[in-house]
This record gives sequence, structure tokens and C-alpha cells, in this order.
Amino acid sequence: MSNLLRRLRYLLNRRRHDQDLFNDLEFHREMAVRHGGMPLGNALHLREQSRDAWGWTWLERLGQDLRYALRMLRKSPGFTLAAVLMLAIGIGVNVAVFSFFDLMVLRPLNVREPATLLRFHRRGITNYAYSLPYPEAAFFRANTRTLSALIAVNASNVTVEAASQVDPKPLPVNFVTANFFRELGGASRFGRVFDPARDESPAADPVVVLAHGYWQRRFGADPSVIGQTLRLNGQPATIIGVAAVDFSGLGQGINEPAMWAPIARQPYFVRNSRLLTDPSSESAGVQIWGRLAPGQNPKAAEAELHALAAELRRQYPNAIWEDERLPSEPGGFATSMITGGRRGTGAEKGDPVYAIFALAGCLTLLILAVACGNLGSLLLARSVARRREIDIRTAIGAGAGRLIRQLFTESLLLALMGAVAGLGLGIAVLRALFAATEVPGWFNPMPDWRVAAFALGAALLSAILFGLAPALQTGRSKRRPGIARHVLIAAQVAASCILLIVAGLLGRALNHASSAHPGFEYSQVISVNPELGRDSYTPAKAQAFVDTLTAQLRAIPGVESVGLALAPPLGNVTITANIEIDGRPIAIQLNRTDAQFLPTMRIPLLRGRNLKPGDTRAVVISDSLARQVWPKADALGKTFPLDEGYTVVGIAGSVNAIKFGEADSVQAYLPMQAADAPNLRALVRTVASPRDIAHSIPATVRALDPNLTPDVELLSSSFRRRLQGAEYTTLAVTILGGIAQLLACLGILGVVAYAVGQRTREIGIRMALGARPAQVLAVVLRQFTVPVGIGLLIGVAAAAGLSQFLRGRLFGISNLDTATYLGAVALFLITAALSAILPARRALKVDPLTALRHD
Amino acid sequence: MPKQEMPSGALTLLILRVLHSGPLHGYAIAQRIHALSSDVLQIEEGALYPALQKLLLNGWATADWGISETNRKVRFYSLTPAGLQQLDDELSAYHRVHGAIQMVLRTA
Repeated sequence: MSNLLRRLRYLLNRRRHDQDLFNDLEFHREMAVRHGGMPLGNALHLREQSRDAWGWTWLERLGQDLRYALRMLRKSPGFTLAAVLMLAIGIGVNVAVFSFFDLMVLRPLNVREPATLLRFHRRGITNYAYSLPYPEAAFFRANTRTLSALIAVNASNVTVEAASQVDPKPLPVNFVTANFFRELGGASRFGRVFDPARDESPAADPVVVLAHGYWQRRFGADPSVIGQTLRLNGQPATIIGVAAVDFSGLGQGINEPAMWAPIARQPYFVRNSRLLTDPSSESAGVQIWGRLAPGQNPKAAEAELHALAAELRRQYPNAIWEDERLPSEPGGFATSMITGGRRGTGAEKGDPVYAIFALAGCLTLLILAVACGNLGSLLLARSVARRREIDIRTAIGAGAGRLIRQLFTESLLLALMGAVAGLGLGIAVLRALFAATEVPGWFNPMPDWRVAAFALGAALLSAILFGLAPALQTGRSKRRPGIARHVLIAAQVAASCILLIVAGLLGRALNHASSAHPGFEYSQVISVNPELGRDSYTPAKAQAFVDTLTAQLRAIPGVESVGLALAPPLGNVTITANIEIDGRPIAIQLNRTDAQFLPTMRIPLLRGRNLKPGDTRAVVISDSLARQVWPKADALGKTFPLDEGYTVVGIAGSVNAIKFGEADSVQAYLPMQAADAPNLRALVRTVASPRDIAHSIPATVRALDPNLTPDVELLSSSFRRRLQGAEYTTLAVTILGGIAQLLACLGILGVVAYAVGQRTREIGIRMALGARPAQVLAVVLRQFTVPVGIGLLIGVAAAAGLSQFLRGRLFGISNLDTATYLGAVALFLITAALSAILPARRALKVDPLTALRHD
Repeated sequence: MPKQEMPSGALTLLILRVLHSGPLHGYAIAQRIHALSSDVLQIEEGALYPALQKLLLNGWATADWGISETNRKVRFYSLTPAGLQQLDDELSAYHRVHGAIQMVLRTA
């Protein structure tokens, strides 16, 4: 039997062992007395010494400390409640942010063996894209040996008619390879899922599997839908199953599609589709995930796909890029779904997910810091009140270490209670948020071990933050808890000051963005996307269609002008070109437009001429771009260094809000090319109410081709939607700032009240000697000016540093905006002063006689 | 009688050795060492009982209930095979060190 086992057995039979030992010692004493020997020493002490040998003393002491701590906390329920509440808020906001991070980045998706899933994208010498032409994916699928399976997903919007009712908006439908459900281990709630043996063939029956959320919303969770027929783009399809509620699938974004359909039947649903046959990247394409074959690694898979791409390039020299690589990233996480179908040239931008979470984490940690600072001050005040108890403990032989341990155990217990409450609070907040935003069922904020460990870690950290300083101070039995209290006040002030400034900056930026002129006028403009690309028009046919459409749109009474563009402002398409000027990278927002685009958007032409029909190598650039590329010379007539070079014919006003979050955005408008026609959007400027005209446009489009489902939207709606994200962010940070401010005020109130209580006697003497009220107040408050001042300084400096990372979201407001900083500091000082005056007034009511008799 | 300092570690060795002759209760162990050392070594309770706990912990001895000479229930400590082995090890180590010290004392 090993040493450890004996130790454990001792622990379990501790009481009996102790009695045995007691009996031994008793017997020893009897014998000693009988033989007239030496009297025994302190029996209790001796027993403790003997027990020490088993190495469980720490546990016994911990038990004692915990029992004592529980008694102390029960004795002052008000303090305990306040402390747990403060910690619950501080830890709760952090738990909420971390849980979200966990869901997005750390927690594997609920699919079979997520660890061996890889997501691939394309990387050429200059280009990159997160979707592939289907023929390329199919070629990989047929020839790969390092991947045991390859899943392709094409996300489209399709008009759905179910139970003889057409949904007013096209619904997201994912066309997937037939191995999709089997490979991801996705089960069905009812019916069956796709079977590679039955649904792989292009001649298979047209079938769909409904997503759980759509089935609940649209069919009221009716199990009898299995076998019913619905129509996609007018084509009948049989519902064969409903996916399980916790099946995440893989696709574009974490939002569930309405249903899945086999990609082999995509041409049946989307007339004239060339998705399965067109090897060029201009068609919509598919996103692919691969399952690593046993014993393979991502490097081997990437090398194999690189070689396969080179082989395929011999067949399609234009469609497959030179030296095309297929870099992989882990595919079994929600993050692999939010890259969507990005494409562009030059270097890829890093994933913004981490930066956003880092920023959110910093802000929520500040709340925790304020809560801890607050609690620390409270504990310090309490520890002074408990001096008597501590003195008694010291007198009967408690060492400093033992006292510190006992006090810290109390803090730890508080922190743990706060963490449990915070975990509940954080998860409840997330649940409420998710419920409000129609997040799919599998995106479930139920805490896993990572979140639990995080909450525990947060509890430990906060126990150290708020408990260690007071414990050390008391343990060393210092009489004046001066420095520690000042540090705690300064920390609180600094943290809440940062939050106030950041909230102020975001609020001002939002205000600026919604009121400032974006460089174009959007309120009277309708964006019309006939979605020809999805219906696989050839460029020539698309051009003819677009010409007819623009002519008809122009003929509508109340329409002033119609322009065409590939990437209209406020749309969900952006084309970015990265060029280098003198070694400095510039990300240009490219657009291909017709001559009517600039006047329709009311983007002013500052100099030179507009694009005109027939232009091929002319370009109009924005004023901001001209200043960056040719800071000293005149840009007109120069050759713009993009592709083979374009001649600058005009300079237009800069547009600030094509993409919010980039203050110094630069644009270039190129002439349209023949290949662009299927993807063009029309922009319609109206004199009359754009809402009324927008209603009639879908009918106009369908009159030309009844199979089209055009996407018609008011630019003013897009603009509001664009701001919504910023509004939510601002609201969240403002709430955080408010909480921090409230906590800080409560802390100051408590500390000042305590200081007044401490100095009643002194105040009484001063008043007896004739001090005026202002002088009395000064005595009480003077001690706080230094820590508050230092805290403000630190807070302002830290906010200036931290807000660097915010620059992209400030819509052009400087992150060092003086007015915001002054405003935040003033707001803080006013609220702090108010919360200090409240208890300080008590000092004025001190009756000198009572005060002198006091104590 | 002047108190004699016990060399560190020697107490365990002595307890193991007196238990070698048979099970004894705590008081008897102290008495036996006291007597065998011609009243030179006096074992304090404060050292004896922690040392006995260490023996139990390491599995060198077990404690079983018995009846004392005064007709009282008390625990008797007896050596386990592991304790016997430990006694051998400690004895040979002690002899080696003792011999070495003697050698230095004689020749220096």
C-alpha cells in the first residue's frame, strides 16, 4: 500500500485516528503519573503536532477558515449581497464576452470529428477568393487522396412557394454535395437526410431537407410536412426531412439557411445555371470543406491540391490562376463560416474577429477592475472595523500568515459566490441577446468547461485584486490602510474614466456618421439588383437585358436618372485593389460604372470629365486618392498604376461611407467591361417618393423575365442597417460605461462615508475651535484629491492608447477628440463630487459635544 | 540527570530497534529506550508521538489494540515487514557513518 493511499485512508477515518491518538496520550500521562514521572506538556498542542505528520493540516485549517468565513458573511448579509452583486456584474459581462468568443472560435461545431475538417480558399499570386468554381471543386473531389471527403456548399437566395404561398423575399437555400449530412454526422429530426447513393445523380428526384428553424417558423413545427411538395423558383421539390435542431451544418455565416438541396440538381432549380459547368471564377462558385483522410495532415492536403490545381490549369488556363494554392484553415469552428465569399487582390486583411474580441475583452475587464476596486475599498473599511477581533486573534497566538490566510479565504469565498452568480448572469444576458436576434438553435450559449474554467479564473483574479491587499494590510496589523486604499480608488477612477471616454467616442462617432454627409446622396435612391448572375445570363444577353431595363426604369414617371455600377455604395459588394505607392500600400475601392453613375449618386465631379460610353482605359479617381498618389502634381492625364494602366480623366469628390469604418477611404471608377453585365446593379434616383416607385420595380423586372427575383432596396434602408451595428456597439459600451460609473460612485460614497465616520472626533474639535463648513469639508475630502487626480490621468492616458484600436470604427472622428475627453472627465468629476458630497455633509452635522464624548 | 540531545533521525532508528523485540505501547517504548540507554536518553512525548505517526504513515509499523499491564485498553505498535527492512537499511547506514566518524576521531 502506497504512502498516498495511507494518507487518504487517514483522511477518511480522521476522527477515529484522532481518538486513538488521544487515548495513547491519555494512557501515557496515566503511566507517567503512576511512575511519578514528568508532567505532560500541552496535550492539545501535542496532538496537533502528531497529526501534522499526515500532512492534512492545511485542509483542516481551510475547513476552519471556510466555516468561519461563512459565519462572517452570514452575519452581515447586506455587505455580502452588495459584494456578490458587484462581482456578479463584473464577472458576468466578462463571461458573456468569453462565452461568445468560445462559441465562435474555441468550441468545435456540432459535427462529426470537427478536428479533421479543413476549410480551403484560393490564393493566386495576386488574387485570393474564398469560393471556388464548382468544376474545380469537383476535380479536387474526384482526384484527391489526402482528403477522404470533400463538401461543397453554394449559398443562394431562391424564391420559395410553400403551401401555395410565395414568401415575399427570396430565402437562403444552400445547395450542397450529397455527402453533406453523412460526412458531418447530421441526423434528421423527421424523415431522412441526403443519401449519396440516391441524391448524387443529376437525374435524381428533386428533394430538399428543411432547416429546423425554418420548419418551426414557416410550418409551425408540423411533422406531416415530410413528403409534401414546395416550389423553388417555381420548380416543384419534395420535402424529405427536417434537420435536427442542434445540427449546425457548414455554410455562409452562422445563420441557418431555410433548407438544403443537392447541388447536382441546382440547374433544375436555377434555370440556365452554369454553376456546375462554368470553370471561371465569375460565376457564384462554392465554398469547400475537406475531411482529412486518416494519417494525413493539412500540409499534405494543401500540397496535393496545389499540384491538382496546376494539372487542372492545363485544361482551363484562364480559369485556374497561375501558381494557384489552396491554403487551409481549421474547418470545424464557427469562425470558418464567417469568412463567406470574400475575394480580392493583394494581401488579405487579417481576421477582424480577434481584434473585436480583444477590444470587447479589454472593456469588460475594466468593469471587473472597477468592481474589484470597489470591493477592495469596502473590505479595507471592514478590516479596520474588525481590528478588535484581529487583535484578539493575534493575542491568542495567530501568526500573520494564518491571519492573512483566513482573511483571504473570506475573499475567495465571496469571489466564488460572485463567479457562480456572474456565470448565471452572463449566460442569461447572452440568451436574451440570442433570442432577440433569431440565432439558430445550435448556437447555444450553454456554458462548457472552458466557460466554467474562465469564470473560476475570473473569480481567482478578482479575489487577488480585491482581497489580497486588505488581507496583507490587516495581517501585518498596520494601523492606517492608507496606500492600499488610495491605489484602489485610483484604479477605479482610471477604469471607469476609460469606459466613459470610449463610450463618448463611439457615441460621437455614431452621431457624426448619421449626420455627416457621406459624399453622396442616398435618400432618394433605389438600388435594383436583377440578379442576372444567379440566373446565369451570358454577358451579351445580360447587356441587352440591362439596356432594356434601364430604358424602362427611366421611363417611370418620377424617376430622374438611372446609373449602373458593379459595387454600389452601401451594398454588400466591395471590390478592393491593393496597390503600392512608394512602398506604401493603398487599399482602393474599385467600382465599374457607366457614365450616369456619378450624377445619379450626386458624387460631384471636381475636375476633368466623367466617364463616357466607349471609354475603356479611362478612370475617374476620388480627390482623396489623387492626393495620396500624386501629393504634389496634378493627377489629370497621369497613368494610374493599376493592371496595364488607366488614364486619369476626372477627379470626383471622395466618398466616406461606401464602407463605414474607414475614414480615409479612396475610390476609383473604371468603365464597365462586357463580362460585368450579369452582375450590374441599377441605381434609380427619384424625384417622387422612392418608396412608392420601389414597389413597382419588381413587376417591371419580372415583365422582362418572369424567372428573375430582383433584390430591390432603398439606399436609405441600407444606410440605417449599416448604422445598426454601430448603434448596438455604442449602446453596449454606454451601458458598460454607465455600470462602471455607478459602481465607482457607490465606491466613492462608501469610502467618504467611512472617512467621515473615522474622523468624527477630529471634526468635532475643529468645529468647536470655530472651523467653517467649507474648511470641514476640505479636511474630509482633501485626502481623496490625489488618488482621484492620479486615476484620472492614468485613465485619460490609457483611453488614448486603447482607442487607437477603435480608429476603424469612429467614422472619421479622431480617437483623441478633445471634446469627448473633456466631457467624459467632467461627467466623471461631477458625479464623483456628488457622490462624495452626500456623505460628507454628515460631517457638517457633527455636534462637537457628542463628538468629543464619542469613543 | 542532564538532558541528552538526540541526534536527528536517531529516534526513528531506536523506535524501530526496540519494536524489533516485539509489540509495545507508546509509554513502554519511551521506558525501554530510557532503560536500555542506562537512563541517559529521555524521550519527550512531543518527539515520540509525531515519530510514531511517521512510522504509521510510512507503513513501517501498525497499531493494534491490546490490554496494558495496568489492565487498560491501549494501542500496541508492532513492526511490519517494511519496517524490518527499514530497520536493516537504517542500521547499516548508521554503522557505516558511525565507523567513518570513529575512524576520523581515532586517526585525526
